[in-house]
Parts: sequence; structure tokens; C-alpha cells
Amino acid sequence: MIDRLCDRVAEESITVAGLYCDYLSQQEQTTTNIMGAILRQVVGRGGIPNNLREAFQKSKTEFDGRGPLLADLIGMLRTVIASLPRVFICLDALDECLPKYLPELLESLRDIVRESSRTKIFLTGRPHVGEYVQRYFSKAVLMPISSNPDDIRNYVEMRLDRDTEPVAMNKDLRADIVRVILENISDM
Amino acid sequence: MRWLSPLEPNKRHQGVRTDRLGRVGEWLLETREFREWRGSEDGTEKAVLFCSGNPGVGKTYLR
Repeated sequence: MIDRLCDRVAEESITVAGLYCDYLSQQEQTTTNIMGAILRQVVGRGGIPNNLREAFQKSKTEFDGRGPLLADLIGMLRTVIASLPRVFICLDALDECLPKYLPELLESLRDIVRESSRTKIFLTGRPHVGEYVQRYFSKAVLMPISSNPDDIRNYVEMRLDRDTEPVAMNKDLRADIVRVILENISDM
Repeated sequence: MRWLSPLEPNKRHQGVRTDRLGRVGEWLLETREFREWRGSEDGTEKAVLFCSGNPGVGKTYLR
């Protein structure tokens, strides 16, 4: 999805930022670090805006270089976003973010969207986080994702093509494998 | 810029890009929900699209 949006960056002058929440990086993926990473991507190579440069310079002199606070980051993000035509923020696997950060994260996103109607947010996660999402975005569009049979068929066939023991395979077995897997995924 | 955040989501994205099976999930981009979300500019009304699903259904990717 991120790639598909990125493909259009040049022609539609859009900005794409995104992050994959990962339970292996839970401790590091604090709301502040996530918003900082989003800001970093939004700013991109387009040159560092003045307010960001000033904040950075200021922090270097205070307390020997302390990091930015969440509120500062949100303020800077708002300023940067206000100068951009369209921004897409994508966060994958919200359920892998530590539950204690989730409300703060969604609140931060809401603060940003409230200021800019040209900012869009794409989220994924297990069904249980949907409740959280709707608490902060009552009009969020919910899109249930289930295994798509065409995707699964392509996937299984790709794996069979790369089989390391092609001798053991024949046409019938191959057809059986695809059929049985497709029958079973309808339960997922 | 590292001052802003120590996270490097681009690394994970590069991994996903490399490993993922092409064309998977393209159907999502054709749905009415996706198109409306992507195209709408009516304020915060349709700011958020949330794709929910159980583990392993391919929300991130298939590989």
C-alpha cells in the first residue's frame, strides 16, 4: 500500500509516511518516537523547516541535547503538514504497539488530522483495536480483511514453483494442494 | 534528523518490499472504501481507514 502511494508521489505531489509497529520493538516504539519518525519522513529531503532547526538548536544547548517532547513533535508536524498539499500517514499492526501507548498515539493522530483535512490515515491491526480506533475517530472507515482467494492461490503457486524437490510433485498433487488450502482458508 | 527519532521504519519497509509477493492486496485498492478514503477531502469525516483482520490474513503482506 505504501509503495502504491509512493508510486504517485511525483505526479500528485503527495507525501507518504509510515511505520510498522512490531512487538519486537515495543519498548522503543513509544508514541514520541513514532511521531518523531513520521515527522522525519514528512520533512524528507525537502530541507529542514526553520522551526524544526530552531527547536533542535535550542535543545542542544539545554541539558546537553535532550530529545523532543511529544507535544513539540505534534506542533512541528502540524506546521510542516500545513504547507503540504496531501499527506498520507500509514501505521501497520497497531495491536503490536504497547497498549499503554495506543491512546496517546491515536490522540496525536487526531490532533494532526483535526488541523488538516488533507491528511489521511491508513491503519491496520487485529479486530480488537478497532474499538480504540473508533473511540478516537468515530467516523473511521472499517475495512475487514480476510484471506483473498486469488492472493492465496498466487502465493501457493509461487511457493510450489520454488519447490526444492520438484521430482516429488506432479500435476494432480499440485492441484490438490491448491484446492485443499483454498478450502481451508475459508475458515480463517 | 536522528534527533527526532531513533526509529528507522524505512528499513522494515525495504524488507517488506523485497519479500512481499507482488500483486497481493491489489484488490483492496479497487474497493469503494479505499477509493473514497483516498479521494475525499471533506475534512476529518473520512480521515481514517482501518483495515482489521486476524493474524496471518495478509494485512501487512504475504510472503
